[in-house]
Amino acid sequence: MRRWFGPLAVLLVCAAGGHSLTLWLGPAVIMDRAMEALAQRGVALHAFTTPQRITPQTQSVVRSSPDLFYALCRYDLHDPGMTLAVRIAAWPDYQSLSFFDARTDNFATIRAVSKTAAVRLLPPGSAPEEGAIVSPTAKGVILIRRLAPSGEQFDAAVAASADDRCQIAP
Amino acid sequence: MIGRVAAYLAAMAAGCGIGIGTALGMAGLLPGSSTLDFGDVDVAGWHSDFAIGSEAADPYTRLRVARHGLLALAKSEAVYFTRSLDDDGAPLRETCRYRIGGGAMPAAWWSVTLYNSDSMLPDNTDNAMSIDAEWAGPGRWAATIQPRRPELIAPTRPAVVNGWISSRNAGTFDLTLRLYAPDAAVLSDPQSVLDPPTVQRVDCEE
Repeated sequence: MRRWFGPLAVLLVCAAGGHSLTLWLGPAVIMDRAMEALAQRGVALHAFTTPQRITPQTQSVVRSSPDLFYALCRYDLHDPGMTLAVRIAAWPDYQSLSFFDARTDNFATIRAVSKTAAVRLLPPGSAPEEGAIVSPTAKGVILIRRLAPSGEQFDAAVAASADDRCQIAP
Repeated sequence: MIGRVAAYLAAMAAGCGIGIGTALGMAGLLPGSSTLDFGDVDVAGWHSDFAIGSEAADPYTRLRVARHGLLALAKSEAVYFTRSLDDDGAPLRETCRYRIGGGAMPAAWWSVTLYNSDSMLPDNTDNAMSIDAEWAGPGRWAATIQPRRPELIAPTRPAVVNGWISSRNAGTFDLTLRLYAPDAAVLSDPQSVLDPPTVQRVDCEE
């Protein structure tokens, strides 16, 4: 009987380790794959990508809303000196600018109904600054949502997006 | 000696499998698990976890949301309620017809969208994926969930045109209710202030 104690202990340790690692690494792995998929679909690094209207044929992210205009910007602030200048253009209805880190946390959201808003995104570990947000991780995604349930409203949201900005600041 | 090594290798493989499997199972990610229809907030059959999108989410919620609700907003900006059962407790499925109805909701804007078991919009071209506050207006509203466009046979156009959400090619599905810019009371006392839509099964094809 005692000869099974060793393998049993190994089984329990591996089960606990596998369980914890899956929970710890799972979101980051899923986010990493999602960012790769977005890149393959043409979502740019450090620029907002003008989207197609969400339909069953164009959807690329789970549970996308067909009533919203989404513009995505991937970012990578591995260089400590880099900052990202982000601006959301004015829109007469609901819109928001939301920031997601590499572990899927929504670490900041700015609601900007009928107005523009601008903010700088700083690399992890940066000192807090007025008008700036510090990203918890070097990589992440910035997402603009605009309420645009109809085709006409979506076209207007695309036109408004010409003044959105997501670019490396000097 | 070889048998001993094999026993340890088998224990490692089994342990890792059990650990990964239990993590996925407890996060609701094994095949057959419902998607986002979970959470500690239950309002008339609609479920939510207000920790979605935040660092406060427990690791199981975080993993589940990463798979089925990636890029979801934190609760101050939007809350998401999901249901996969009708009012009688039966799973929502493409072969049935449902009547969904409700009224105004305590948020700047709301929508109800149908997703398949992969958390994707079902593969059809009906252009009837959701209903929203703009369509519903300020009063009571009703809509049909079914795989075919509802037929309208009437001598004149009715004053109120009912809505339609297409379940064509959805299989077993769920509904997500989004409340954007929700009133503060939705977060503090959702059962008292939120009157979410009812989902009544009308009939089914067998």
